[in-house]
Amino acid sequence: MSSKYDVLINKGLVNGADILKSSKYDTKLGLNMAADARRLSDGLISEQAFVEKYQESVGKEFKQKLALQATTDDQSGVKWGMVIDLRKCVGCETCTVSCKAENRTPPGVSYNQVFVEEEGTFPNVSRTNIARPCMHCDKPPCASVCPVRATYKADNGIVVQDSDRCIGCRYCMVACPYGARTFDFGENYDEMTGYQEATSPEHGMDRGKREDGKSPIGTVRKCNFCFHRLERGEEPACVETCIGDARFFGDLNNPDSVVSKMANSSRAFRLKEEYGTEPRVYYLR
Amino acid sequence: MSQSAILQQQHNEESETITAKRFKRWMTALVISMIAGGGAILYRAIEGLAVTNLSAFVPWGAWVAFYIFFVGLSAGAFLLSTLIFVFGMEQYERVGRFALFTALICMVVALTFILLDLGRMDRSFNAMTFWNVMSILSWEVRFYLIYMVLLATELWFAMRIDLVKLAKEKLGFKSKLANVIRLGSDDTSDLSAKKDHRWMKILGIIGIPIAIIGVHGGTGTLFAAVAAQPYWNTPLFPIIFVVSALVSGTALLIAMYVIQRKVRGKTVDLTMIKGLATLMIFFLVIDLTLEFYEFLVAGLSLKPEKMAVLDVMFTGPMSWSFWGVQLFLGAVVPIYLVFSKRTNQSVKALTVAAILVVIGIIGVRFNIVVPTQIVQSMKGLPQGFYFPNWVEWLSSIGVVAMGLFLYSLGAKFLPLETEEGDVNSHE
Ligand code: SF4
Ligand code: SF4
Repeated sequence: MSSKYDVLINKGLVNGADILKSSKYDTKLGLNMAADARRLSDGLISEQAFVEKYQESVGKEFKQKLALQATTDDQSGVKWGMVIDLRKCVGCETCTVSCKAENRTPPGVSYNQVFVEEEGTFPNVSRTNIARPCMHCDKPPCASVCPVRATYKADNGIVVQDSDRCIGCRYCMVACPYGARTFDFGENYDEMTGYQEATSPEHGMDRGKREDGKSPIGTVRKCNFCFHRLERGEEPACVETCIGDARFFGDLNNPDSVVSKMANSSRAFRLKEEYGTEPRVYYLR
Repeated sequence: MSQSAILQQQHNEESETITAKRFKRWMTALVISMIAGGGAILYRAIEGLAVTNLSAFVPWGAWVAFYIFFVGLSAGAFLLSTLIFVFGMEQYERVGRFALFTALICMVVALTFILLDLGRMDRSFNAMTFWNVMSILSWEVRFYLIYMVLLATELWFAMRIDLVKLAKEKLGFKSKLANVIRLGSDDTSDLSAKKDHRWMKILGIIGIPIAIIGVHGGTGTLFAAVAAQPYWNTPLFPIIFVVSALVSGTALLIAMYVIQRKVRGKTVDLTMIKGLATLMIFFLVIDLTLEFYEFLVAGLSLKPEKMAVLDVMFTGPMSWSFWGVQLFLGAVVPIYLVFSKRTNQSVKALTVAAILVVIGIIGVRFNIVVPTQIVQSMKGLPQGFYFPNWVEWLSSIGVVAMGLFLYSLGAKFLPLETEEGDVNSHE
């Protein structure tokens, strides 16, 4: 298959040298720069080295000065976080459903749930809907108990679940204070045609069909902040579909982001803070 | 040859054929159980954990309970053996090798249980290739292996001289096996015996912290370190684990020793059994005291999460396992049997007491694992319920039968009995 497409693409390709010859500038320089630009994007040379190498000839040939393009900002990068506004949440469970659809979770596996808490006696009652994804704790007990490091904290704040390494001991399930983990017993929605045709592309990995004995069956599963969507520049499914606009998602490292501002408001709190898990999901009361 | 000697010999031959018959029947029963259990295991291996009663709400069940039960038996049996080999309590010498061998077999059984429990059995070796310093479970896997090697080595030293002697007899399978296991050693001098004892002492001394802190205290810590389960999350928990290990290990050894001697038509050392039974009750009382304070402090401090678990344990649908199995059968009855003047002179009653204690500790292990999971970590999640289904029971029977099978083979073909066992017999 792939070779067929390769042939198609190669047909459409033009010879770089031919094109460059038609311009008034130096062909060889152009070709060399193109080759090094590729090495640069592959991470084989640094931008600094690239600039130093071509500064002189570019200045002669194009009368231009090369400048470093990469940002010199803090490179520690983003740390994802979520804010859920309890006053806006209507308890419709759209997030639960859209999460199931997005991640194609089987029966019994739910990354997101909404708990309804009623307090008081009539007529003085209050009702709170608490939507609970994985908290992506900064100090995740699920990761510290895992004997094989199948679950770990990634730099971007996401607590990753590696279903190719997990041995299915379920220690993490008893260790998570939020009930955010479920085990994939291998059940399927048989009434849904094509359910087993695809597995969710968790962490951006395409796993093909859902089959017995193949990951993630027999392992523990959890929310991954829809990492595959984040990579495409989209928000997690639960955030995008929330009908009350109660969910917000963004970079908690950036003090100017919407989520940072909300997380620092006086309304913000986190679930079970006494456990010291430092959740990255904030609630607004 | 005098008349009586001839009679005696006839009697011996008769009892030997009876023993052989019994052994055959016993082994057949075990093989049948193993086949039945093997079927359940195969079913579970093909269909996955979905065929068990485990769920998202109660992810750990019978297999985990049996796993900690057998780790406890092993640690207990080993620690008892150190009383003999390290602390020189020679009055118990006769159970020394049995204790070591039992400890080894129990570990094999325990690891089989935890293997069965893995969602991905095929990846069990990941637990060796990857290491997480923060994970107690990761440490435990390593401790178990070190501990098993240590047990095997110590047992080898304990049997060495007898192996050499057996190998020299050049008679039958037992002696051939001994010839292989002796690993070329053939010194039976008193000096070498002394050396053996030194080695056993050294290994025993190294083994004590490994068994207490590494193997069983570690297994207790595996639970105690989980902050999300307030019932487990107390520093007393690992200690209770170790003490209950001593209880069950001692009890198991009493039962095993008596049953083996009886089926072979041999005499039983009553003084030793009485000593061991008293020791068992002593451990049991400490165990009960610790548990009492655990419950009392939890109750008096009114921590709602702990109260919820205690509530499930004391009044839930499975509370019979706490009151009936753990307390009544596992503690009240045995204490009565060992202390009552009417029963404590009878080997039978003491053996029944020991067996009841072992059963009681099974109750203890279930009540450690299950009730805390019935109470969910988030309000709003439905209460769980768990009772093992037939797949879990049948496979468990199979695994236990496998342990007994291995044990019986060992008891038949290895020199586990000390020679003087037959000479100074009582009762
Ligand atoms: S919420 Fe649970 S699963 Fe998620 S990171 Fe925290 S401990 Fe782990
Ligand atoms: S079930 Fe998987 S992720 Fe969870 S602790 Fe065990 S190996 Fe780690």
